[in-house]
Amino acid sequence: MAVKFDLNEREVWDGAYAASQALRQAQVDVLAAYPITPSTPIVENYGSYEANGYIDGEVIMVESEHAAMSACVGASGSGGRVATATSSQGFALMAEVLYQASGMRLPIVMTVVNRALASPLNVRGDHSDMYLGRDSGWIQLGAFNAEEAYDLTLCAFKIGEDHSVRLPVMVHQDGFTTSHTAQNVYPITDEKAYKFVGDFKPVDDMLDFSRPVTYGAQTEEDWHFEHKARQHKAIMDSRPVIDATFEEFEKLSGRKYKRVETYHMDDAEVAIVALGTTVETALVAARELREEEGIKAGVVAIRVFRPFPLDQVRLALKDVKAVSVLDRSAPGGAMGAFFNEVSAALYTTNARPLVTNYIYGLGGRDFSIAEAKRIFKEQKAHADIGHITTDIQKFSGLRGPEFGYFQTLRG
Amino acid sequence: MQDLKLLAQDNRGLYQLEAGEDLLGWHEVTQGSILPSFEGDATGIANMKQEERNYSHYNSYTATVASWRVLKPVYNRDICIDCQNCWVWCPDTSIISRDKQMLGIDYDHCKGCGVCVEVCPTNPKSLLMFGEHSSFEDALSQWPEKKKKEKK
Amino acid sequence: MVEIRWHSRAGQGAVSGAKGLGDVVATTGKEVQAFALYGSAKRGAALRAYNRIDDERILNHAKFMYPDFVLVIDPALAMSDNITMNDKESTKYIVTTHLSKEELINNIPALQGKEDRVYVADCIQISLDTIGRSMPNAPMLGAFVKISGMFELDYFLENMKRVLQKFPQKIIDANMEAITRAYNEVN
Repeated sequence: MAVKFDLNEREVWDGAYAASQALRQAQVDVLAAYPITPSTPIVENYGSYEANGYIDGEVIMVESEHAAMSACVGASGSGGRVATATSSQGFALMAEVLYQASGMRLPIVMTVVNRALASPLNVRGDHSDMYLGRDSGWIQLGAFNAEEAYDLTLCAFKIGEDHSVRLPVMVHQDGFTTSHTAQNVYPITDEKAYKFVGDFKPVDDMLDFSRPVTYGAQTEEDWHFEHKARQHKAIMDSRPVIDATFEEFEKLSGRKYKRVETYHMDDAEVAIVALGTTVETALVAARELREEEGIKAGVVAIRVFRPFPLDQVRLALKDVKAVSVLDRSAPGGAMGAFFNEVSAALYTTNARPLVTNYIYGLGGRDFSIAEAKRIFKEQKAHADIGHITTDIQKFSGLRGPEFGYFQTLRG
Repeated sequence: MQDLKLLAQDNRGLYQLEAGEDLLGWHEVTQGSILPSFEGDATGIANMKQEERNYSHYNSYTATVASWRVLKPVYNRDICIDCQNCWVWCPDTSIISRDKQMLGIDYDHCKGCGVCVEVCPTNPKSLLMFGEHSSFEDALSQWPEKKKKEKK
Repeated sequence: MVEIRWHSRAGQGAVSGAKGLGDVVATTGKEVQAFALYGSAKRGAALRAYNRIDDERILNHAKFMYPDFVLVIDPALAMSDNITMNDKESTKYIVTTHLSKEELINNIPALQGKEDRVYVADCIQISLDTIGRSMPNAPMLGAFVKISGMFELDYFLENMKRVLQKFPQKIIDANMEAITRAYNEVN
């Protein structure tokens, strides 16, 4: 039996520590990982829990991230609660096996500390790795601070392991800005947290000798499509399960989560749409602008990046005049992917707000309240004039001459 | 003379393995393309012989590929030394053997590749390929004599 | 909102200092934030650590700040780093130095005209005397407690003991002494 871990009602934890505590409380059976900055402390902390007897599960150190996720697939297929952590290059090396995990409907939980992808080498936070997982078939939850990294990791097990879902779940937090920033965290007791997550109930586990099963069957053009369609249905239909899990978590903790978070959007004229810690920084900017200049600014944040909440995003934004969608990943020859998804969602309504795209914060470049205010004011100017006066895609916080692409045809 | 359904369950080779017709829709396929091999409780299956096992329709046991064959291997008990080479090498587990004694061919799953004949060490061979439509009697009656070693 | 910027070298304990401060401040019911600007920093490389303290949940995740306090725990960095960057009319400076306040200000033009907001304490020497090695973070906390007036010394010491509970008693005692000495000596 695991040794009792003493928790205070109020802790000061960084996001990595918070995530590792959630993994401990969920009583994970197997954690297989290959530590990489900035997610290293999650594995390090969890390893120390094992060394000091605070957990009963296994910790497997492997030789690469590809092996880490492969070990997770094996352990999960065998019928255990399984988790891992990674970032950036490690995430990229896992990519192949991510698709195996989701295709086999294995409810692995992965805490991802978002970090830029090389080259050039960079250990700091941006969303390049998270974007790489966009089509992998994993549910992707986004934390905006350390406490949320803790909360959402607990929720991740409950969502992924639900028998109607049975999908792997990533819980994203921003490298350094969340993972290495200590903030107040109000943890739930071990008993309550475990009761919330619940016992792991295996499905089709390979260690059930009364019902041997084949994993990883080959399906060519006659079967593959049907299996992928069913998998898509599973992730799309996870939405009510996610909502119900968030509701139950609110009853437990008093902390409310929604798939799309909206701040000051009731009367907002201009909005920023963002992911991660930027959401909260932009929220401070919106509040200050409302107070200082009377600009009706609001923030829309995506809590659940996959399944993408098209239905809720468009409702959140349909009454604003101008929106800027912030992408924290190098777009590689296109508009930001997040911009494209939000714009597509809006296009299914009659509303036609002016939508611009900012690429920002690459490689951990700071995003300040002042810059958020500048973006809000620029949207206000677009709203007042009635069309976009700048390039549609611009770069925020970049040194050098003004840089952007594409002009509106609506002006 | 070999029984075509040598040591077989009723459902061995029941279905034709053909693509494209009457296949399940997306709403009917298994979750995660995970396929249970047996019907019902399979506890203790490891100690049961193949013909005693209740294979499910997801298992290739219940499918047949007999129609893929142009030539078929015929087994001659009189020459075989039960070395098990063919059993080891057959890529489709279509050699039926019990207690290290060779019994014959699973003609539902044999595709007629000829590997068993190739690896057979006896002189003459104990397995030879014949046309799919030739009878066992004809095949056995045409069996070659022992070859003499050529003098060097 | 109180914002604090630490100037330090990797290995001097600014990150632990910032996190320790956050830990203690949180026990008073305040919301805190502690982070650092480092990454591939080697021991001895200049780094900056930051604290935010507020009554409400801290939402600002930017590194950028207009600090209320600048805590310099390396004497040479006081000269070479831009310690007055983004300062305010009210920013208070606590600098580790063996120099007197007047000597220090004479050496750092950027501090001139800010005499009434500059404080000095020889945190290096205090840590050598008490802890036995150069760990200026603990004494700096003592100096900060005095200058900020944010807590009573005894209250801070009690809570700091809890933060350090995983260490041997000898080290805890040495840290308590270092904090107390700097509290009394900062001027």
